[in-house]
Amino acid sequence: MSSQSPLRPDPMPLREALRGLRFLLRRGGETLAETIPIETLPKPAADLAGAVLREVEGIARSMDALASGFVQSVLGGAEPQSVTLDELNAGQGGAAQFGAAVYVALRSVLRRVGAPGVFVSESAARSAWGEGRKTDAATLTVNLMDARVVRGPTAEEAALVPGSALEPVAIFAVLLWLQSTRSEEENEEALHAAADLAVALAPDVARACADRDTAAIAELYDRYAAHV
Amino acid sequence: MRRMSDVPLHPEAIPSSNEPLRIAVRRLRWFKQAFLRHAEAYGRDLGCTFDVDEAKLASVFVRWLEAIERQKPADKSQRRAFFEFAAALMLRELVADMPLSATGPAALAKPDSAAAFWPEGYCCTMFCVSIHTAAMAQEFHAATEVDPAIDDLRHWWSFRENARGDPGFSAGFLQLILGNQPNWMMPDVFRARLVQEAR
Repeated sequence: MSSQSPLRPDPMPLREALRGLRFLLRRGGETLAETIPIETLPKPAADLAGAVLREVEGIARSMDALASGFVQSVLGGAEPQSVTLDELNAGQGGAAQFGAAVYVALRSVLRRVGAPGVFVSESAARSAWGEGRKTDAATLTVNLMDARVVRGPTAEEAALVPGSALEPVAIFAVLLWLQSTRSEEENEEALHAAADLAVALAPDVARACADRDTAAIAELYDRYAAHV
Repeated sequence: MRRMSDVPLHPEAIPSSNEPLRIAVRRLRWFKQAFLRHAEAYGRDLGCTFDVDEAKLASVFVRWLEAIERQKPADKSQRRAFFEFAAALMLRELVADMPLSATGPAALAKPDSAAAFWPEGYCCTMFCVSIHTAAMAQEFHAATEVDPAIDDLRHWWSFRENARGDPGFSAGFLQLILGNQPNWMMPDVFRARLVQEAR
């Protein structure tokens, strides 16, 4: 069951498109600035390159402000929701609510582990949810990785997580947090704690996820969900 | 023995919780908040600032949980003794991968005190004593007393030197501070402590 009213269009594809554009412009602006060595160019070329770069950065900033404002104020907040996995399984929101919750929480976790520039796909998170049946955390972990919910260059970007472990660690943190007992006030602190725990457990998490070993992933959740 | 009221603890640095302390302390978000508050309070006392590496703190916490799980006795009659021992294991993990670093000397500490000699070790030890004291009072209505060794700089010097080579030594030091006689052969093994007490 979808939480969207039949009278209103689903805003998620538009939201995803805007986020994709914002990601592209941010990355593009950074890449351009890193690629064009303006200070080493001769005078006329340097002026021209500088003007182009300023123009591109201006467009990126405008788009960034538009997309950020739109996404945050109109299409959904940036604060992690206090929903739990049990509530998601019991409620009617299903895939849509799961996708929105995972998007916001993953963004927060990626910032926490030092990889704020990575793209997170809400539509991929939504597709990872098994419609119409209860879904366990370990299966969702594998589904989210298969759906490539975390995208873009990741290996060298995270300050706290070794290379290829970034994706499983970030996803594990979010699912661990979704299983934790917490009050509304503790929500954000709990998410940070889940991220810190996931980083501390990174070798175990990465190994279990690489092996697609849902029993091992479930055991890690069982052992640590009460300690977030 | 010294009464705990003579020891500079910071009960206000223990976060409130709807859960018993024995449960709350095993949640990373509570543990971290408690540690950060103690670091701030002792930094104020000592006239320095402590930087806290939160990633290290999380690793310390995970290793402490694992150590508790490994050593937890099945016999319920040993619950209280293990409760005391858990604080010693906490200090072992903190000292083994110190998450604190003092920015500058402890300007307000007495020159020949433990706090001036090793601000980070002092802060971690007092954190463990503080949590232990509050938990014992809540769980067993028991007042904690500390050994006069807490004021003896020679013990602190020995603690710092020996813990470098053997992290388990920290567990022995905390047991000593809390008035227990550690098994120095295996100070971080709960069963070894029980065997010694039975003799």
